[in-house]
Amino acid sequence: MAAPLIVARDLSKTFLVARRRGGALGALRGLVDRGGTEVHAVAGVSFGVGRGELLAFVGPNGAGKSTTIKMLTGILVPSAGEATVDGLVPWKQRKRLARRIGVVFGQRTQLWWDLPLIESLELLRHVYRVPADRFRSNLAAMRELLALDPFLATPVRQLSLGQRMRGDLAAAVLHDPPLLYLDEPTIGLDLVAKARVREFLAEINRDRGVTVLLTTHDLADVEALCRRMIVIDRGRLLYDGAIDDLRRRYGTHRTLVVDRDGGAWDVAPPLPGAELVKTEGPRAWLRFDRQKVSAADLIAAVAAGAPLRDVAIEEPAIEEIVRRIYGEGTGAAVAEDARSGRTASSGGTLPADEPDRDAPRIIPRSP
Amino acid sequence: MRLYLEVARLSFRRHLAYRAATIAGLFTNSVFGVLIAAVFTALYRDRAGDVAGFSLPEALTFVWASQSLITFAALWGWWEIATAIKTGDVVADLMKPFSFQGYWLSRDLGRAACHFLLRMLPTFLVGGLFYDLALPRSPLTWLAVAPSLVLAVVVSFGWRFVLNLSAFWLLDHRGISSIAVLVVNFFSGFLVPLAFFPPELRAVTNLLPFRAIVMLPIEILLGQRAVAPALGIQLFWAVALALLAQAVLASAVRKVVIQGG
Amino acid sequence: MGRVSELMDELTVCGHLAAARVRSEMQYRLSFALQIVGTFGFYTIYFLSIFILFGHFETMGGWRVGEIAFLFGLAGLSFGIAHMVAGGFASFSDLIVRGEFDRVLLRPVGAILQVIATGVQLRNLGDVLQGMVVLGVALRLVAIDWTLGRLLYFPVVVLSIALLFVSLFALQATLCFWTTEATEVANAFTYGGRDLARYPIHIFDGWLRRLFLFVIPVGLVVYAPSLYLLDKTDPLDLPTWTRFVAPVAGLAFALLAGAAWRLGVRHYRSTGT
Repeated sequence: MAAPLIVARDLSKTFLVARRRGGALGALRGLVDRGGTEVHAVAGVSFGVGRGELLAFVGPNGAGKSTTIKMLTGILVPSAGEATVDGLVPWKQRKRLARRIGVVFGQRTQLWWDLPLIESLELLRHVYRVPADRFRSNLAAMRELLALDPFLATPVRQLSLGQRMRGDLAAAVLHDPPLLYLDEPTIGLDLVAKARVREFLAEINRDRGVTVLLTTHDLADVEALCRRMIVIDRGRLLYDGAIDDLRRRYGTHRTLVVDRDGGAWDVAPPLPGAELVKTEGPRAWLRFDRQKVSAADLIAAVAAGAPLRDVAIEEPAIEEIVRRIYGEGTGAAVAEDARSGRTASSGGTLPADEPDRDAPRIIPRSP
Repeated sequence: MRLYLEVARLSFRRHLAYRAATIAGLFTNSVFGVLIAAVFTALYRDRAGDVAGFSLPEALTFVWASQSLITFAALWGWWEIATAIKTGDVVADLMKPFSFQGYWLSRDLGRAACHFLLRMLPTFLVGGLFYDLALPRSPLTWLAVAPSLVLAVVVSFGWRFVLNLSAFWLLDHRGISSIAVLVVNFFSGFLVPLAFFPPELRAVTNLLPFRAIVMLPIEILLGQRAVAPALGIQLFWAVALALLAQAVLASAVRKVVIQGG
Repeated sequence: MGRVSELMDELTVCGHLAAARVRSEMQYRLSFALQIVGTFGFYTIYFLSIFILFGHFETMGGWRVGEIAFLFGLAGLSFGIAHMVAGGFASFSDLIVRGEFDRVLLRPVGAILQVIATGVQLRNLGDVLQGMVVLGVALRLVAIDWTLGRLLYFPVVVLSIALLFVSLFALQATLCFWTTEATEVANAFTYGGRDLARYPIHIFDGWLRRLFLFVIPVGLVVYAPSLYLLDKTDPLDLPTWTRFVAPVAGLAFALLAGAAWRLGVRHYRSTGT
């Protein structure tokens, strides 16, 4: 295997957060005296990323995932540790690295707000000094892949969020970067737009060999796209590995969904190791521990009680597993937890509404 | 009435929060005060005696009073309503069962009250501490300054209110803003006391509302002008601009109704 | 050689970025036109004010109206150029607060060049034009003995003043890497420096004069060279060589600002998304 594209060793970022002082005098003193508390936004993170990988950074807001990415792009200088990206040290060789990476921020566009989309793309051609023929063929490919044509001449401020994201994706890859970072690329998008973004990422990863590293708290992104994920919380890695592994190791519970032939369900779980989650008309959901009972046995037992029309087995939802990892703080504890069979709450996405812990506070100016 | 008092109180408290900006602003106003005071001092050093009815202490009082008025009377603009119009928040405010104009006037008076304490008084105190100012001896004069300052804010508000409403018609207020600043700076007597103006130019300033914002309160402070007529002029402009603002607002509302925002 | 061509490439890119910025500004045509008129008028009324004052006073610290007008024009023209170039620094706190400096660091172009290029303020063309007009008026009021030395030194002085003010705006921007709360303080030095530059510096006393002569060398780039250009005697008795160090003062201050900026970038904290 070729040398890895990204190597991070003991990467750390500590912010000094100024104490908030009361009163006008306090505010003035805050300018001079920078005393404050240290916040370890990223505390000794190590990992490697191989060429052609498509992996996700998962964690709640303030977990340190954005800070990690910002160190790997050269925006932030780490407090300790080292990293190379494509052989370059990001914060020392920022400009050279900039030509080899594309970056998309879900909540901020890099397009020129008042200008038509096509003008932004043309400008980026100059910024990255993309040869004209290369630009032409890339633009043609992006127009096709992202269906940009209907709004290519529209000022960016008039685009919908989904259209703008498509524009931003095109903008990020026009200079053929071998590595693409995306920070919350699907945030705020509707389902159709989300699907389009995922499709695009899968395609450039597969067809162009672009290495993709994305942060998200929508685990549906991860399930749809990635084979590997890194779970991070409070600045530390909690898990780094294949999603299937995660499921195998921590997700011992599966759900059997059975459709009864006529009539509603009124049965109790027929075997030890399985419990009835809910019923809805002829359909029932049975949660079972695959270490205690095999799916075949369970189906046979249920079928003995009532005629079945259809059966399906659902894998454990990733978010349920990840939620447990956060809850316990370390992978080892999660494994314990999984074995003890405690139930975890389920839900669509991870908590996103808590205030950023790693972000330095910047107070808007008075009007 | 209670409602408007409450609006003013909330606005007062909101502006109280910008403490760092207050210190920074006081510093900046003071530096400019020192700078302009030095200019007048140099001019008077070369030519002794009163000029255009101003002695040097009176000129210095003018310098520090005018610096104090910048934030208090929001001389250099204020675009909160224009912003509310752009974001569309204004529609909700227009629907509410109170006077839109009264609501914003209350907010602005609350703001001015806060800036009186945080910006105006400290700036003027700095001037008083380091310079020989011509301050009135009679408490009656100080008493007359108070309503004059209130009227200055009301006149300034009327003018700014009309300017803000232009956002109903124009996409971008930066152009209007840059013209408005220079008009106020010059015709209010902020840069040079109007008494120094040549007669033809003075005739023009007499026809405009802007002297009610800066020059008249300062002339009352300096005892250069009879109090009652000065307050009368300020009151006239306060009412006239309020009526104009009402008319402009009415046509803006018609536009909103027709276009649906 | 490689570094030179690299710099040329970056400047070309910045040309495109600046052009885009101007196109964006032009989107609001009426507003843009009004702003040019506004900036022109803004400095015109300041100048008018001085004329009004000089209707009552003969001299200011021994300087006549034409000589003061010369300072106004020189300072106005040079500051106008600086303001046009350094608009991105002047509004840098917005860039930081909105988190958009991240994007600057993600592009393969030097950060200083980008901030300048993406913040060009064409509307400040009004100041530049106004400075030229005032200079024109001044040159009608005072007779300058245009020796070759003066003729050559004049543009150098203009550029030195502009460089000093660009650097001051850059320092103001650098402050934003630490705090965005109290940047108004910097206005006292940028706009305050501009206002001070319009008058002979000997009329200011004590700390204010020392500050703007030796710490922020506004006096060295405007007042001292003007003594030479206008052939004036100096009540401060500054050594004669100080009249010719404007470019040195400008460059030294620019280097200082550049060093502070680099320190600031390393300190950049970025707002969390």
